[in-house]
Amino acid sequence: MASEIKSFQENIRKSFIWYSLTPVIIIVITAVVIFISAWGISLRMSTINENEDIKNRIDSAMNTYYSMVDKVSDIVVDSEDNNQEDKIFATLYRATSNYDELGELIILDGSGDTVFTSGESTYPFLTQRGMNNWGVWKMAKRHPDETNTILFEGKLFIVKGVYENDKLKYGIFYIVPSEVIRNQFKGEEKSVLITDSLGWVYLYNNKALLDDFGRVDPQLENASGYTIIDGHIYYGKRIDSKKGISVYTISDVHRSIRTIEVIVLIIVIIFIGIILISYRNADNSSREYTKDVKKIEQAFEAVQQGDLNVSLNIDSSTEFQTIGRDFNQMLEGLKEEIAQNQELAENAAFSQVKQLESQFNPHFLFNTLDNIRFMAKIDAKAADKMIVSLSGLLRYSIRETRDEVTVQEDLHNLQLYLNILQIRFNKRFSYSIDVAEEIYDCLIPKLVIQPLIENAIKYGFEGRETLDVKIRGTQHQDNIIFVCEDNGAGMDQALLVELKQQLEGEKNESSHLGLYNIHRRIQLMYKGDYGLNIESEKDKGTLVRVTIPKHR
Amino acid sequence: MLGKLKERSLQKQGRVYIALAVCLVSFFVIGILGRLLYNLMANEKRVADKLVVVSPHPVSFMEPLINEFEIETGIQVEVISCGTTEAIQMIEEDENVDLMWGGSVLTVGPYKDDFLSYKSNASDCLYPQFKDNSFNTNCFTDVPSVLMVNTDLIGDIKISGYEDLLQPELKGKIAFADPNKSSSSYEHLVNMLYAMGSDDSDGNANGDTPSVNSEKGFEYVNALLKQLDGNLLDSSSEVYEGVANGKYVVGLTFEEAALTMLSAGKHVRIIYMKEGVVSTPDGIYINKNTKRADDAKAFVDFMLSYDTQVYVAQYLGRRSVRTDVSNSSEVLAKAQINMIEVDRDFVIESREKWLSEFSDIEKKRRD
Repeated sequence: MASEIKSFQENIRKSFIWYSLTPVIIIVITAVVIFISAWGISLRMSTINENEDIKNRIDSAMNTYYSMVDKVSDIVVDSEDNNQEDKIFATLYRATSNYDELGELIILDGSGDTVFTSGESTYPFLTQRGMNNWGVWKMAKRHPDETNTILFEGKLFIVKGVYENDKLKYGIFYIVPSEVIRNQFKGEEKSVLITDSLGWVYLYNNKALLDDFGRVDPQLENASGYTIIDGHIYYGKRIDSKKGISVYTISDVHRSIRTIEVIVLIIVIIFIGIILISYRNADNSSREYTKDVKKIEQAFEAVQQGDLNVSLNIDSSTEFQTIGRDFNQMLEGLKEEIAQNQELAENAAFSQVKQLESQFNPHFLFNTLDNIRFMAKIDAKAADKMIVSLSGLLRYSIRETRDEVTVQEDLHNLQLYLNILQIRFNKRFSYSIDVAEEIYDCLIPKLVIQPLIENAIKYGFEGRETLDVKIRGTQHQDNIIFVCEDNGAGMDQALLVELKQQLEGEKNESSHLGLYNIHRRIQLMYKGDYGLNIESEKDKGTLVRVTIPKHR
Repeated sequence: MLGKLKERSLQKQGRVYIALAVCLVSFFVIGILGRLLYNLMANEKRVADKLVVVSPHPVSFMEPLINEFEIETGIQVEVISCGTTEAIQMIEEDENVDLMWGGSVLTVGPYKDDFLSYKSNASDCLYPQFKDNSFNTNCFTDVPSVLMVNTDLIGDIKISGYEDLLQPELKGKIAFADPNKSSSSYEHLVNMLYAMGSDDSDGNANGDTPSVNSEKGFEYVNALLKQLDGNLLDSSSEVYEGVANGKYVVGLTFEEAALTMLSAGKHVRIIYMKEGVVSTPDGIYINKNTKRADDAKAFVDFMLSYDTQVYVAQYLGRRSVRTDVSNSSEVLAKAQINMIEVDRDFVIESREKWLSEFSDIEKKRRD
């Protein structure tokens, strides 16, 4: 699960989407599912209930007719009675008065002659030859003295064969008025089919569910549940009445499914809209909410880059306001501390510089004094000059409290030093000074050139009679460069490397204090790429270059 | 660290919720779909419980008989209506098709190996010529070929037989279906070959020694095709319906269709060809691969039973195969018709040859 770290804004945006959209989607999907299930259940229940209701209503009508036929059969059997016809009519009317339709009652004797008829119509399948063992008649004969229902040529018959001594005496045929049965499911929204027990349809309110023969579509037969007919989905329920009739109630699920499809489509479209809007909103609000974090990030980044002068002004919320205020305070504290530290460091550097400056070479003093004593004997004038020069040097070294002096001042001091050296070494030592006049006013650390000459004399005389030292001062770009070049003995490679290494270090424990001290002072005073550079070759001479930033 | 943990656990929680929701939803969906599928399959199974009958008979002919059969036996029947050739094909390919009801013995004869041999318990009561069981068939009814004319359109034209169809006034007004497609048309083709191709040139074919000069017969067929003017129809129903609704003046069809049209109140008349009428029985054929042989046999017995045959003869316009059933008053007694007795084996043998010859002539005609 290694994933790259994302920005705070991205995370906030994701959380917005995640926590706002997901619950909505889940709730809506759940709602849709519940809705569909509830719809399915209610469809089921209503289909089953209506089926039951219709069946019960039809059953009650059929029961009436059955009992009427039974009563009529009793009357017919009781042949004693001579006003049979009136009695039959009375029974017929009494039974059917509630239903507004009389229906048709036909009574035939065993040989097919009409005994009684309530209407005018004649039915060839009852009376014609060859039909007395077919259809309605067959039903009467197959179940002697039983009342049965048969659907024949589109009419629903209640049939009873009245037998006497195993011989068919009468056939009682009652044609159920179809209006009465139809009324039992009048106004029914669902498809209703009334069939006989074999699936031949008697009444229907939806022709689409019948096959070419006028039977229930085989798919629906006995179907309790969902069925597909010609690509239409139906929910059907069948219930069989004891009177040889089956009632089908069928709901066309198809249209509802269409509706649901449309609803789902609309929901999907709304969702797409919501998702788009949410994405945009999440984008905007995450940007809005993380604006302060961005500010904080930028402030920290600036501090990281070294800019301590940033300040964090947030007033959008109390939390971030506190953070901003505290940050500012912290930064102030930091700045103060840095300033203090800087001061301390400067103090330290200053004292170090002072210390380094004060290291007046005791050898030089000793040698000079020794020379003066000697000179006082042979050349009092020279001795006097040396004493004057030395005292000037000492005065400069002690009295001059400034760290920096102009080039001119330092050169003056250098002259005093060179005077002493000239008297001391006489013809063995020669020098030349070539400093560009334009840098005369520039500031340099005091006593910066003198140690170079000191160094030249220290190493240059080794095994030599004379030494020539050239001092040059020039301006190169923004820097002042002093070069001290001698034609002395030079240094061997090992010594040179050692010297260079010492210049790099911060402390010096060796005896090459002069050069090191200048280098260190320059580095402490001017931070940057300034200081000393030594080149030397054995028997050829040494060149020391001092680089100082030009300033006045 | 703690925050991250919490965040992670929050995310985890979210995932758990989603997983739960998905589970719930799929549970519902699977439940609903499962129920639906179960229902559909159960219903499919129910359909398979029925006796499946393929039949070229018109629905109105079959309906009362099927109804009565179901009431009588309690066996439910599923009927597939289609032409004879297609019906044979279904019998050959699908063992779930239990029997074929209809189709003349002459047409179906060549496929006798596809059928189960069964001798109906009514066979003792049949006319001798319908007792022959050698083609694994039980003859159901006797169907003479007839001409049917539209009495409103015929005018002064006299038609009493095949010869009269060649009158120039009738060109393009004759309805005849392709014998390759319609079994009743094939009967007519056989009838023509026997009646018009007989050596006995006056057309009075002698009942006991029928002979066929097919060359002579096809001369007539050729002439008739010329009279059709390109109108060779695709099914027998197009023939009788075409005449009944006035598209054609005269049609070559079968007696029952003509009677049905008559009883439907159409203005048509039946003409028995004076050159001779071939009457071939149509049969009931049980698929030899049937899984419901008992039901199928019950179906055959029911159709040949006395009551059924009476009903068929009285109300459905067919001639019964039973000796104890008299025919409808609307049909002419056989004694008054010039009947031609055909050699069934010979006709069945020649079927392919004759049909291809017919096709050749018809093709030549078209070209």
